[in-house]
Amino acid sequence: MVFYALAAGMLVAVSRGVNGRLALATSPLVASFWNHLVGLLVLIAVGLAGAGLWPERVSAVPVWAWAGGSLGVVFVASGSWLVARIGAVLTAMLVIAGQMISGVLLDILRDAPGSGWARAAGVVLILAGMVVAQSRK
Amino acid sequence: MPQPIRPVAARRMLDLALAFGSGGILTLMILCNGTVAGVTNGHFASLAAHGTGTVAALAFLALLPRRRSGAGPGRAPLWAYLGGLAGAVTVIVGSIAMNSALALSGMLALGLAGQTAFSLAVDRFGWFGMPRRSPDLRDAATVVLILAGCLVIIFGGTGG
Repeated sequence: MVFYALAAGMLVAVSRGVNGRLALATSPLVASFWNHLVGLLVLIAVGLAGAGLWPERVSAVPVWAWAGGSLGVVFVASGSWLVARIGAVLTAMLVIAGQMISGVLLDILRDAPGSGWARAAGVVLILAGMVVAQSRK
Repeated sequence: MPQPIRPVAARRMLDLALAFGSGGILTLMILCNGTVAGVTNGHFASLAAHGTGTVAALAFLALLPRRRSGAGPGRAPLWAYLGGLAGAVTVIVGSIAMNSALALSGMLALGLAGQTAFSLAVDRFGWFGMPRRSPDLRDAATVVLILAGCLVIIFGGTGG
């Protein structure tokens, strides 16, 4: 299981690299389009092979939740653009920083349980890392 | 390109800000897709995200002015079109790991480790046709500080 968790992280970096290569030859938005189309075809094939395509409770999905796909288009396009410009490591670090800090804000807004001190200390460390990333060589 | 030349530092700051902002978009995306998955299932959530995403990408391409490419190294190799395959496999691999005995915090930490290690190799060896970069002290400090912050939040924030 450790392997699967590591692999899931690696695949995030693989897809950013592959999409980044396509963006170099086309554009970030074109790369994002192909990423979504190919993923869609694979998932349709998996659905036809047994997972099913249309679960019963689709109509119960709240309207706002359907925005995930469009947000994903922007996310993939931005990653494909950045990976060649600032490198895979820095792209990954800043995306993770944004994800973590917005996640903490969301948790606070939704009143999720958690230690305030750990959150504060973590955010300070992440912000310090971002200041270092932006500093002059 | 008719853009005025900006100082390198300002350009870098914009790139970093974009990456940071896209992390915020990722949080909202996961909230949306996680909600769809909760009502239906993981496969359908990914299917729906990729389906609506394909339509949204076409709409963006139609609405936004075309940027001239040509700076790139010619045609893309066939494998460059298969990024979506990695995305679809991630969903499957992630759901296997999610349903394991491994706690969510451990899974998140391992995911970060996998992503960071692989990204280091991409930069170091120029995989996927990316420019080669050797990490310097500043990059190392950035990685250590940001990952340390993540670990404090992931492990310190639970059960409190």
